[in-house]
Amino acid sequence: MVEPKDYDSDFENKWCPGCGNFLIQKAMKQAFAELDIPPKNILFVSGIGQAGKTPHFMQGNMFHCLHGRALPVATGAKIANHDLNIVVNSGDGDCYGEGGNHFLAAIRRNIDITLLVHNNQVYGLTKGQASPTSALGMVTKIQNHGVTSSPFNPLATALGSGAGFVARGFSGDPEQLIKLIKAAMNYRGFAMVDILQPCVSFNKINTNQWYKDRVYDIQSTGHDSSDLAKAIVLSLEWGDKIPTGLFYQKESIPFHKRIGVLQASTLISYPFDGEKTAACF
Amino acid sequence: MRTDITVKIGGEAGQGIQTIGTLLAEVCHSAGLFTFSIDDFESRIRGGHSFNLLRISSEPVAAPGHIPHILVAIDQRTMTLNKATLPSESLVILNAESEDNISKNSDNNSNIDDSDDNTCSEEDIEGCTSSNILKVALNRLAKEAGGLITANTVAAGAIFAVLGTPFEMLEELLIRKFKAKGEKIINLNITAAKKGYEAAGNVRYHKQFNWKPSKTDRIVISGAKAAGLGALASDCRFFPFYPMSPATGVIASVVPYSGKLPIVVEQAEDEIAAVNMAIGASFAGVRSMTSTSGGGFCLMTEGLGIAAMTETPLVIVDSQRPGPATGLPTRTAQPDLLFVINASQDDFPRFVLAPGTPAETFESVKKAFYLSEKYQVPAIVMLDQFLATSQVTQQNFFKVDKDVERFIFNEDNLKESESNLSNDNIKSSDKTSAYEHYKRYVITEDGISPRALPCMGEIMVRATGNEHNEKGQISEDAANKVNMTNKRNSKLAAMKQEMALPETLYFKGSEREYSIISSDKQSSTDNQFFLTGWGSSKGPIVEACEILQEKGINIGCIIFKDIWPMNSDAVKSVLENKKFIMVEQNSNCQMGRLIAQETGINYHASILKIDGRPFYPQYIVEKALEIIG
Repeated sequence: MVEPKDYDSDFENKWCPGCGNFLIQKAMKQAFAELDIPPKNILFVSGIGQAGKTPHFMQGNMFHCLHGRALPVATGAKIANHDLNIVVNSGDGDCYGEGGNHFLAAIRRNIDITLLVHNNQVYGLTKGQASPTSALGMVTKIQNHGVTSSPFNPLATALGSGAGFVARGFSGDPEQLIKLIKAAMNYRGFAMVDILQPCVSFNKINTNQWYKDRVYDIQSTGHDSSDLAKAIVLSLEWGDKIPTGLFYQKESIPFHKRIGVLQASTLISYPFDGEKTAACF
Repeated sequence: MRTDITVKIGGEAGQGIQTIGTLLAEVCHSAGLFTFSIDDFESRIRGGHSFNLLRISSEPVAAPGHIPHILVAIDQRTMTLNKATLPSESLVILNAESEDNISKNSDNNSNIDDSDDNTCSEEDIEGCTSSNILKVALNRLAKEAGGLITANTVAAGAIFAVLGTPFEMLEELLIRKFKAKGEKIINLNITAAKKGYEAAGNVRYHKQFNWKPSKTDRIVISGAKAAGLGALASDCRFFPFYPMSPATGVIASVVPYSGKLPIVVEQAEDEIAAVNMAIGASFAGVRSMTSTSGGGFCLMTEGLGIAAMTETPLVIVDSQRPGPATGLPTRTAQPDLLFVINASQDDFPRFVLAPGTPAETFESVKKAFYLSEKYQVPAIVMLDQFLATSQVTQQNFFKVDKDVERFIFNEDNLKESESNLSNDNIKSSDKTSAYEHYKRYVITEDGISPRALPCMGEIMVRATGNEHNEKGQISEDAANKVNMTNKRNSKLAAMKQEMALPETLYFKGSEREYSIISSDKQSSTDNQFFLTGWGSSKGPIVEACEILQEKGINIGCIIFKDIWPMNSDAVKSVLENKKFIMVEQNSNCQMGRLIAQETGINYHASILKIDGRPFYPQYIVEKALEIIG
């Protein structure tokens, strides 16, 4: 049996004390253990930002790539070998800003990976600038008269673009988060979990308490996650109340099942036959 | 005696100019003749002016013909653009109505079909420097044959007639070509071809080939296709790309094999995604290649950096075109050399190869895959619009190795290396030992560390774009940074040895002799000047040399194919004591500057062409004569 501690790493952690990432990472370890996936059988792909460092602080295979590019790297790796369990750790800036185009393309491809977006509504690594999900008017050192762009709505965008698994978690609700990560891992297709988390150093508005006062679990209020229209309505709710949980899930055909050659076998496992290749020319 | 004829077919985009050129080339090929075909077109799908320039020869040809011996004017504009510069002995096939086929002075042409505004009139012929004009009413004959769409087949029929090709050879090809489309289409095209053929009457070009069906071990192929096949021969299985002229042809060339070989072609959302998808697949163990042009390569430069930093193999084809920015999308140039050598921030080893022919392209792509995996560095193969799209007769070069060497480290290797570690007493069955002992970036003498694949066993593979320690963990340690940079750069010594020296051609009287090293001092003094180039300009340069030799000029040539990393000492020994004239398609003599930077030897003069059109041998000859005096 795999245990959460199998994922423990002695590499020095570099997050701020109290960072929401610790709780997200803990939930990941618990979820993978419950799914009985050992670190050697998992590939973490991450981008740049505090979230991007996540795989460094745990055991497993890892490709820590460039800002915004985790999804294309993960897509390439999954096409090469769709037996890989691929988990992408990204952030609101990494995934919705720098990698926005890749986010849309990954949804459309329905590449069978789990995307965990550590969404703290601020840039932590570069010290507190606005992110795509920062509230309109939020004051930062750079946006000193307040953010002038409206916030990006990742869930509504994903739902509107045809995503088959859309969820929102909160670092302060580990029990729900573990469930969501497990469901995302079990989903055959592109599964995104947007995870609200506080940034203790740079986001003084959306604090842990701020989230705690607002979040509610849509499963406990009886949301039917097969209802796309209701999911979209819920995805637009943001204010005094913030819905979390599994917004939407539908059966879908993952990318590798859409490609003939990948239906028979993983791309990597085909033998090379020089004679056969030459005969094709 | 060599017979060498260039046919120029001009018209609007959408009139099937390229189709006629291809048909012509295929029939010539079936007669054992050699062809070199280039397409000149604008960045538009319909209208404008485009032409196919087909050189047909009884001997091998490596460069396009410049002066049309036979001009085929499908529209007036082709006539207007060419009529003042045609050689007097040339033959013009004109899309025009005429009773009297051969003389431009004789008839009043009252039968011109005014419903078709492409048809040429007497006015268009005025000022033509050729007096041999054959008028063929392409559109009327096509309609008579059964459809305006066959106008280009009518034209092909007329061209074959004046070339003296037996009609059966054309008929045979049409049957083969349209086989899949059924009897009706075959017959339509044969009728159309016959109409064109008969319209030519007895008019023949004054030089004739020996037309006999002939089986050869030759193929007609473009550089783009050769690159695609080279990748397939290298066991490349993943082709992520973003469409861009003139690079899309490379990817398009592998698409027909997707049912037969285990390959995936994926159109990415942008070039950034394309290169990162290639890197992801390569990291996971599948050979991958992407293809782009200069503008797309700009977007890929960050990917080049992470491939270098994570030491992940990566092959990119850069099919060059003139810039900056959008530049001339459908034209040719060699402006990216210094860019690709220096692309991405900071410094890291990479390979840059620039083949000169389709056959060399096939080999260079194979070499790029081999080297990229052996040294775990990016490899870039440089084509350009001219090489990528020219259709050239080549000796069949498809040598596919039975197997490809992958340089991948696995657990068995780990056990071997563990048993070699004298200070470690670990049983190979100990599960924890694998991760503990595997170091993806272990510092080695040659800089190459064991590359394992993720999720293939006990080993865990960890890579990052941050500077990292031997285990692939982020490290900001000062000494580690120095050691890791040195480790990556230490591959360079062996990489340089992998680079073939430039090919040197000496001319001794009428004989020519190829050499890859200039230790032969006798030869090097025989030729006083050397035309020096790289990549696709090889063919035009070699032919320019031959023309200059015939004029009594003492000249040889030096052609670079494997460019980077430059084996400076060896290259220096090739270039020493030679007056070399750089021949390049860029404005700042990039190869000349690179040579000077690496060897300290300066070029004597340069012939630079920056108009977006390919080098023609005659152009190089004229410029060389100006320099040599």
